[in-house]
Amino acid sequence: MKQGPSSEDDCFSLLKQFEHVLESDPLIDEVGFIHPSQFTMLDKEAGFSNEFQPNNGTSSKFWNQDHKLGISTDILVQLCKDAKHVFLLALQEYKSHGNACDESQIKNISCSPCIPESDVMKHSQSVLLLSSDFGTAWNARKLILSKKDHLSAFTEELRLSGLILSNSPKSESTWSHRRWIIKMISQSFSTLQEIITKESELVESIGERSKMNYRAWYHRCWLVSYMTIEQVIQELNKSKRWAGLHVADSSCFHYRRRLMLKILESLYVKGSSAYDKTEARKIWKEELDWNEELVERYVGREVLKV
Amino acid sequence: MADKLVAGKHLRYILNLMAEKKKESFESVVMDHLRMNGAYWGLTTLALLDKLGSVSEDEVVSWVMTCQHESGGFAGNTGHDPHVLYTLSAVQILALFDKLNILDVEKVSNYIAGLQNEDGSFSGDIWGEVDTRFSYIAICCLSILKCLDKINVKKAVDYIVSCKNLDGGFGCSPGAESHAGQIFCCVGALAITGNLHRVDKDLLGWWLCERQDYESGGLNGRPEKLPDVCYSWWVLSSLIMIDRVHWIEKAKLVKFILDSQDMDNGGISDRPSYTVDIFHTYFGVAGLSLLEYPGVKTIDPAYALPVHVINRILFTK
Repeated sequence: MKQGPSSEDDCFSLLKQFEHVLESDPLIDEVGFIHPSQFTMLDKEAGFSNEFQPNNGTSSKFWNQDHKLGISTDILVQLCKDAKHVFLLALQEYKSHGNACDESQIKNISCSPCIPESDVMKHSQSVLLLSSDFGTAWNARKLILSKKDHLSAFTEELRLSGLILSNSPKSESTWSHRRWIIKMISQSFSTLQEIITKESELVESIGERSKMNYRAWYHRCWLVSYMTIEQVIQELNKSKRWAGLHVADSSCFHYRRRLMLKILESLYVKGSSAYDKTEARKIWKEELDWNEELVERYVGREVLKV
Repeated sequence: MADKLVAGKHLRYILNLMAEKKKESFESVVMDHLRMNGAYWGLTTLALLDKLGSVSEDEVVSWVMTCQHESGGFAGNTGHDPHVLYTLSAVQILALFDKLNILDVEKVSNYIAGLQNEDGSFSGDIWGEVDTRFSYIAICCLSILKCLDKINVKKAVDYIVSCKNLDGGFGCSPGAESHAGQIFCCVGALAITGNLHRVDKDLLGWWLCERQDYESGGLNGRPEKLPDVCYSWWVLSSLIMIDRVHWIEKAKLVKFILDSQDMDNGGISDRPSYTVDIFHTYFGVAGLSLLEYPGVKTIDPAYALPVHVINRILFTK
């Protein structure tokens, strides 16, 4: 009954523990890699003493309280290697059997559980939490999602990528994946405006922790083309205070330029009235006056002058 | 403080990284999905130090070919998905070893040409993300393969020019913030296609030379950011291509790069006293090449390959 150390049960036990932690707390909203010596300090801050911690080994590798997940740097390399290996196997399995699942769905035969598909989703999630720029894993999720037609699958994807950004705010592949999700949502569902507002708020909060993050701000600029003029003006007003507190952040001011240009663009659209033009002129004048104030207040700031 | 390039140490650093069989180090594991880029950075650095012969050409070339996908594109590692980022690196690596003849040129060039969009831009792969980096990659790669006629060059150039900003710089798409890395890609693409006259050289040259930090001599990528060795490549090569490199203080930049070396273990980091990695090692040495540092072979600022390699390609059938 007892199997040797080379059995599959012992291999990938780290990965199994990791995935168990993820499954048991679906509301995790922040992930980080931490040195094991910090676990005790985190326990203290959370109000736990060591005596009450279950001694199953997991507590020295993963820290999970208040929907925050810390992964010990001691196990990172092995966990990453295991996750990649298992994910690639699952992907191979899905690609060779996935067709069978599709056919069953077309014929309305229940194909439950679609194990290859759920394995790919489970293991790609694990690998991306550890290595966010592993494009092949994002692509696998796109492949599976492009066959879905319920909004919840896509909003869940926004949740996962948001979680990954909490640890890797500059991950280009993650931002790119979010844009793909938003494009898919805009093609099939009508809840776009709310999503745009939330996206913009997400970037602002990431921008607070990860200054002048080119990828994050580019994403925010990209959203502008999906905004109504009312939203653009709202954005301009909402982000003004933040901009005033971050005068060295060239990405932030570039974003304001983008918003201003969008206002101008709207005037070239048929049906824009004299009122619109007056409004636009007023907004531009306000922005320029405010900029002048900032330049005078913060002498020498390259960003404001440019 | 360093006063010379410790080429021997860098050579050992790169060979150790490439020879890693068990892939135990953190750097190796995080680089796993972009190993093709890593190989290009390592091998080009070796070539610039005239030490390409230190690696097994057969081993490298056969590994590169295992990364080719049925679509014709190359992946970052065996069994991964293809992308133009890795396709260019694969072609550049084969160029270094003068092994372009083993490629099915039709297949690779069709993969790239198939990613051009209606507006002239390029996607990175079938999933559609557009970025001027991919425009540069397509143009550079097809130029090396002598298949530029497979794409609509005029539209590609017009798209790149539409990404020009008021400050003379370029971003990743129309209206995106100017960034030295994106500027290199746009200027490089315009250089290769003979369209540098569409750049406002004085305006862009000013923006680029403003990247130099007065105290450290290092270059940053955007206003108010910290200097970083990798911009020694992107800013410098752009300045060279638009003939404005005399606008920066070369000696100070050389010092910044040399000070960013790990004098004991080899490798170069993003700035003095930080951890080294293969990416910054390559850009540091490439930067020194552009600055005509003795003992480093000359690199082409547009193709990012040694000049003797480019000459071999462009001047033979």
